[in-house]
Amino acid sequence: MATLTFPLSRIEGHARVVIEVHGSEIVSARFEAMEIRGFRYFVQGVPAEQMPTIVPRICGVCSTAHHVAAVEALEDAYGVTPPPLAGTIRELLLLGQIIQNQATSVFLFTMPDRLGLSSMFLPGDEAGPDRDRAVLATRALQVRRAGTDLISLAGGQFIHPIKAIIGGVTSGIEPQAAADLREQLTNALPIACELFDYYWDQSIALRDRIGTWGDDAPTHYITATGDRCPNYDGISPTPVIRVLDPDGAACETFPARAFRDHLTFEETDYSYAGRTSYQGAVMRANSLARINMTEQFGTPGADRYLERFRDAFGRPAHAILLFDLGRGIELVYALERAMEILDQPLDHEDTAVPFNTQDGEGCGLVEAPRGPLIHRYQIQDGLIDDAEFIIPTIHNNLAIERALRVAARRYVTAERIDMELERAVGRVVRAFDPCIACATH
Amino acid sequence: MRHDACCGIFLITLTLDFSLCLRPPCATIALSVTRLNVTTGGTVERFAVLQLSGCAGCEVSLLNAGDWIDKHRLTYMPLVISTHDVPEVETLLVSGGVRTEEDHYNLRQAARRADRVVAVGTCAISGGVASLGNRDEVREVFLAQAERRHVPRLLPKCRPIDAVVDVDLYLPGCPPTPELFMAALTEDPDFEPGRNVCRECGRKKLRDMRPEHLTGFQEGEVLPDICLINQGYLCVGSSVRGGCRALCTRPGHQCVGCRGPSDAFIEKDAEEWLSSIKRIFESLTDIPEEELDRALRSPQLALFLFQFSDYAAPERPPRPKEKML
Repeated sequence: MATLTFPLSRIEGHARVVIEVHGSEIVSARFEAMEIRGFRYFVQGVPAEQMPTIVPRICGVCSTAHHVAAVEALEDAYGVTPPPLAGTIRELLLLGQIIQNQATSVFLFTMPDRLGLSSMFLPGDEAGPDRDRAVLATRALQVRRAGTDLISLAGGQFIHPIKAIIGGVTSGIEPQAAADLREQLTNALPIACELFDYYWDQSIALRDRIGTWGDDAPTHYITATGDRCPNYDGISPTPVIRVLDPDGAACETFPARAFRDHLTFEETDYSYAGRTSYQGAVMRANSLARINMTEQFGTPGADRYLERFRDAFGRPAHAILLFDLGRGIELVYALERAMEILDQPLDHEDTAVPFNTQDGEGCGLVEAPRGPLIHRYQIQDGLIDDAEFIIPTIHNNLAIERALRVAARRYVTAERIDMELERAVGRVVRAFDPCIACATH
Repeated sequence: MRHDACCGIFLITLTLDFSLCLRPPCATIALSVTRLNVTTGGTVERFAVLQLSGCAGCEVSLLNAGDWIDKHRLTYMPLVISTHDVPEVETLLVSGGVRTEEDHYNLRQAARRADRVVAVGTCAISGGVASLGNRDEVREVFLAQAERRHVPRLLPKCRPIDAVVDVDLYLPGCPPTPELFMAALTEDPDFEPGRNVCRECGRKKLRDMRPEHLTGFQEGEVLPDICLINQGYLCVGSSVRGGCRALCTRPGHQCVGCRGPSDAFIEKDAEEWLSSIKRIFESLTDIPEEELDRALRSPQLALFLFQFSDYAAPERPPRPKEKML
């Protein structure tokens, strides 16, 4: 038996893949998260109201989702309903996060796999098209910058935002600031589309070269966005998690607080991250789940891409490299939707309501870029007695390992191990865009 | 098929108890970046980014400071580059705290190959928010429950990087602003470090608005333009290093001290800093000293303030202000 170890890169955090083979048989394929800081343990005893400031530090990539989920969990515990304008501004926050995350994942993490590069920031071995790479990198940074600037505008800080508070948000957005950012997004949109068109073509070329879109066996899908259109307001009165069965039929919905009755959580001895399943079955979250489970996006550019996607790949689509294309469509959606919102008045009414603290349990649910994120807090004497963070990446851990076995079977024979396996492992993991800092926290 | 897409270590361990390390033919990128003759004449400084246990927020901030892209050569940063060994570089930026055995090993190895080491962000400088887990009652439970096989072992405590290697420059903040990254990379001689958060905040301090108790963390309606201390919030901006443009306090969120002590306190012990905060509260509020003391000394209540005592930890020389941006 041989053990193959693959260090990973172009994902957030420290992880590796370990595959055990015996002849042509794949004995196991493990996705191992290698870091942990212990948020679950050290927040015990913290005053509950500090959670929105502490938990963004779980992850600098996904900080916005944690910030909003924490505020929501506390609002749930205290029985507070924020005013509508607060919901709109939180939606902007989460859209900014989608823009920055999807632009990073598509144009910086996975674009090099299409171009045969190790990074968008390093020239390749061959003389020739390096100017194109440098231009692509600069434009990619420009698009993601639009997302982080949107987070700064709506959240005060772009990495660990502070403006969502229990009962609402600290302030609205003045017309001039909204107009300036709208202009920035207007400039970013055609650049994003141009990059994405190029990425789409390069993805087709990649498929032609390797002969597959990867693991395409049907699975369950889960998301917390709406069925008619995406809703990222983070404030819906009763946000729910929806499940799609492998045939593409909606199968059930449940509130975040009931997640234990519907999802099975387990730990392993080889990873600091746990994993969830849909009652034992493999499930998937992240972009492909939303693409499969959302009727339409409701903005013109995104819907054109969605139609093109469905014409080419059907609905539900299952092949894992389609996650990457899904992220590009969502990038376009988030830019367009944020522009729509910035056209509305955003400083015309109250942005927060007063609240009284009380002990008890609260659950917050946000659709983060990687899927449904749940924060559940137990509060006693105003302090956190117990906190659970159910991280979207762990919903995909079983699916990642299954896709790794599919890739390994393709490239491992009794005679040899094809070196393409290393690249395939990278592509499989990046298709799920896992976040290790979050998954282990 | 091009073979330059990966240059990772492809490690095969056979059960016969020997291992061989194969490098695919494409593993030349890490080498190619060391020959740096730039067409414009001068040399481009090479830098690497080593991420230890942290949140990647510092890396995200660096990506936002995109101006380096034309002037510096990023040679190692696993977040965006598939290269698995730190090459020789002029500048090594290190983010995150030393939490695992692997962090410790990687830090030592990388620092050897760098001309200068820069500690980036609160975790690298003082352990950061993860240091909340260093309290004995927390870490006993954490270490017992989080332990796993096959993955890098957790060290007893999360440590700052200068507990392991010598540091030439510190970039404070959670995360440091893009401007700080640029100042560090360009070694800009004209860069002036911020003084304290109060100076950048601009809220007015009043003598006649004197709260009698601390206001809860997110409680109450924050009045615009008036000092948060006058409104009872435990804001520590008066002694915290500036340079952040007071991004938190201006919209009404108290300063939690993520950037560490200002020059006035950086080489002094925590007691001096505590008394300074108390003096400010005494002049602006009627909050009883015991109430304030309880809040300031509680590792939970005061959030990032534990790092003030770390700055003055007896087992290490103080971090000099000359090395702090």
